[in-house]
Amino acid sequence: MIVAALLVLLAATVALMAAPDRFRGRSAAGLGAAASALTFVLLALAWDGKASTSGEVDVAWIDVLNARFHLGLDGVSWPLALLTAFLTVLCCWWLARSGAGPAPSARFVALLLVVEGSSIGVFASLDLLLFFVFFELALIPMWFVIAYWGDPKDQAGRRRAATRFLLFTVTGSAVLLVGIVVVAIEAGSLQIADVQGTHSVLAASLIAIGLAVKVPIVPLHTWLPDAHGKAPTVGSVLLAGVFLKLGTYGLIRLDVQMLPSATAEIAPYLAAAGVVGIIWAGLVCLVQDDLKRLVAYSSIGHMGFVVLALATMTEAGVTGAVFGSVAHGLVTGLLFFLAGGLKDVHGTASLTALGRGLYERTRWFAVALLVAGLATMGLPGLAGFWGEYLSLRGAYEEGALDRSLAWTLLGVATIGIVLATAYVARFVRMLLQGEPTPIDTDRDLRARGVVVALVVPILVLGLWPTLLTDLLGSGVMGTSLLGVGR
Amino acid sequence: MSIPIDWATAGPAVIVATSALVALMVDAFWPRRSWFASSLPLLAGLVGGFVELGRTGSVDDVSAALTFVILAGTVLVLVGATVMSDEDSMPPGELHLLLGSAASGALVMVAARDLVTLIVAIELLALPSIALIGLRQGDRRGIASSWTFFLTSVVSTAVTLMGVALLYGSTGTLTYAGLSRELVDPAVPDAVVAVAVVLTLVGLLFKLGAVPFHAWVPDTYRGASVVIAGFLASVSKAGALGALLVLLAIGLSPVDDVWVPVIAVVATASMTLGNLAALRERDGVGMLAWSSVAQAGFLVAPATAVLTAEGLSAPLQYLAVYALANLVGFTALAVVLRTRGSTSYDTLTGLARSEPWLGVPLAFVALTLAGFPPAVIGLVTKYVVLRPVVDDGLTWLAVVMAVNVMLGLAYYLRLVVVLVSRPADEPDGITSRPAAPTGLATAAVAVGTAALVVLSVLPGLLIDHLP
Repeated sequence: MIVAALLVLLAATVALMAAPDRFRGRSAAGLGAAASALTFVLLALAWDGKASTSGEVDVAWIDVLNARFHLGLDGVSWPLALLTAFLTVLCCWWLARSGAGPAPSARFVALLLVVEGSSIGVFASLDLLLFFVFFELALIPMWFVIAYWGDPKDQAGRRRAATRFLLFTVTGSAVLLVGIVVVAIEAGSLQIADVQGTHSVLAASLIAIGLAVKVPIVPLHTWLPDAHGKAPTVGSVLLAGVFLKLGTYGLIRLDVQMLPSATAEIAPYLAAAGVVGIIWAGLVCLVQDDLKRLVAYSSIGHMGFVVLALATMTEAGVTGAVFGSVAHGLVTGLLFFLAGGLKDVHGTASLTALGRGLYERTRWFAVALLVAGLATMGLPGLAGFWGEYLSLRGAYEEGALDRSLAWTLLGVATIGIVLATAYVARFVRMLLQGEPTPIDTDRDLRARGVVVALVVPILVLGLWPTLLTDLLGSGVMGTSLLGVGR
Repeated sequence: MSIPIDWATAGPAVIVATSALVALMVDAFWPRRSWFASSLPLLAGLVGGFVELGRTGSVDDVSAALTFVILAGTVLVLVGATVMSDEDSMPPGELHLLLGSAASGALVMVAARDLVTLIVAIELLALPSIALIGLRQGDRRGIASSWTFFLTSVVSTAVTLMGVALLYGSTGTLTYAGLSRELVDPAVPDAVVAVAVVLTLVGLLFKLGAVPFHAWVPDTYRGASVVIAGFLASVSKAGALGALLVLLAIGLSPVDDVWVPVIAVVATASMTLGNLAALRERDGVGMLAWSSVAQAGFLVAPATAVLTAEGLSAPLQYLAVYALANLVGFTALAVVLRTRGSTSYDTLTGLARSEPWLGVPLAFVALTLAGFPPAVIGLVTKYVVLRPVVDDGLTWLAVVMAVNVMLGLAYYLRLVVVLVSRPADEPDGITSRPAAPTGLATAAVAVGTAALVVLSVLPGLLIDHLP
């Protein structure tokens, strides 16, 4: 099933690349949406219960290195793989319907499909080398997405942002590769499930540092705001919704689950860095004028909660990390569709330039932004709440941290929630409310279906969190999520 | 006096050298001078070399694999050289004689198991190379490069000879097996041995083009014809690396505390300096030249762990992929140089759109050398060379290598971007291109790229079959 899903994407990519003239504009986006939808269905069908590895494929690949072509999904990776396919469907739909911004071209859609396929590959890989191959595969396509189809007004800027993104993440993945080599040598295997339990603080640290660039964890986040600021709308959505998940997923799978005892030793640093990120991002958001950069910084804050959650290494924490990742993908995806949509229509995402009173001027944009804003600050009843709640709950239970540190971090993270409320209130007040100041580029949202398609799962997961939390079981690693029992 | 000759070892080299002589004779006495009349004998000799290798094998698996790489690389160079077949200034007989002799030098080099054979082989590789670089008649730049190469080459060989003399003086033996026996003897003076080892290595590192012995590389690669630069970057380097590995693993194994730090520092400096210099390049050949300095670092880094199980095979696997990628790259650039007159990035802009059969292979080569998917084979070999380094406890060196992967990507990606981007000014009409015999070379590029693509899907085809 998983291989079939990847082959569907490969076939669509090859078709789009080989005959760019036959798929112009909407037909390219349509083909991309259809391929991604089929992938979504295939992945959804692959699930067979939380107690086992779903859709497992395991064939020989490179004998000498003991590398195998080994794929499979469990309660941690399956939701993220589905999220990836779902967001790509919406991206293609958006390209076909939004009517603003760069026209969809066959090559652009093909690159999006490569990003989708490689991310699904990362989530499904159960072999470390294969994981790394998929991890790297998406980087160069993403460079082209940002550098070629990014901000049409700032050619040099988008190229610089793309290159910075690439060099940061490549440095991270190079460190990650060394970590993988260390694990492979210490444990004598590349299979994630076999390696489990190896005690190597060196490997755990290298992997954590490498992935911290991707997540991103402060202070390695400096590539992110620029990349988001210059990326095209759907590029931002995939970057936030999918790419950052590669980092958090990697931390859960390779560190928390695969090297639990070693990760417990570095967990305090991870947790502290996560909380610093929450506060830092919240403060920056309070003064940020560019809506896309604001959403990018709010992303860093959300990722801070996810990192805090997984660093506790408790069941609540890991569940919260997965929930937070999925919720962030939906909520921030929605925010980026809206912020990017505004930028495509008006040519700018500056709050002051956009003016006030969107309720009057462009109602759909306004209402959708309000919902997304409420979700991003963690309003109970929407998906964003549970990730933060479980994260704080994990910190309360201490887990791998000691009590004084865990509770301090808990307290500081709570301030982050206050900051989130404040910055959401700020942009609601600056943008949505107030005396309308119409500008002649005003035009309401076109691709309303995309927004509805995102609001529905945000509501459903908010009201019915057990849909997701119940998925986590023994899965790939053969044990429950707990690494360290306290 | 009888000189013992191990024909199983010398077989391929002798066959290739003989065929090179035949090539010269055919060119001299055949009434109609033509390119193929002299290239076919050499091709036959290379094929004969393969047959001989398959029949008798070599001293050991490592030498056999290196012999295979050298023979295959020379075949590619031979085919690629046909882009020059209509140039009057390029004498075919001499070219094929020199190419064949240099290749046989490289073959002897990897099969050498004593120091005198090693020195002879180094000279047998170096002397024809000097002539190859300056072979094009009336090309002043080529002659200047040839002089540079001549001087560095002679000096480096002299230094190695000094080291060899010291080794002989302190141990009384010239064979690798004898060295590894004698060097454990506590009576052998440590300081002298340390100096001797370092001096011996210098010559080989010169041939590899590793920092700080790299200064000739960019100059020579730019001055020589592009195909010959490809030969220097792949076949010649394979010979030097092979000789280095075997010497370290067998002959100098007892004194690894002397050479491990030397190799580690040289690797670090090569990677970093080569990559930094390549960042500034805006020319295809210049970029590949500096990148080959950086790659020399990646090649010798795992040699720090040459005494572990994977220390010998890792650089071999890396070398095989590197040599193939480089040859494809240089051959493609040679074709571009013939048809477009330059290999600067301005000329290469949009090549993947206008001439996909050249541009796409070049892009794939860049990704292979960078070690990035979709060129999975490049990534797998990067993993392969990192493994013994970490295994040997040199994690810092592994991190340096990892950071250099990032630096490398910066300029390899720039080439990819240049190749796929739209030309700034659409060519107004069809500019007249000089007709050049590029068919065979383009076919070689296609075959080489196909091999890289197949290996990217199934890396096991290569990795599982090398020792």
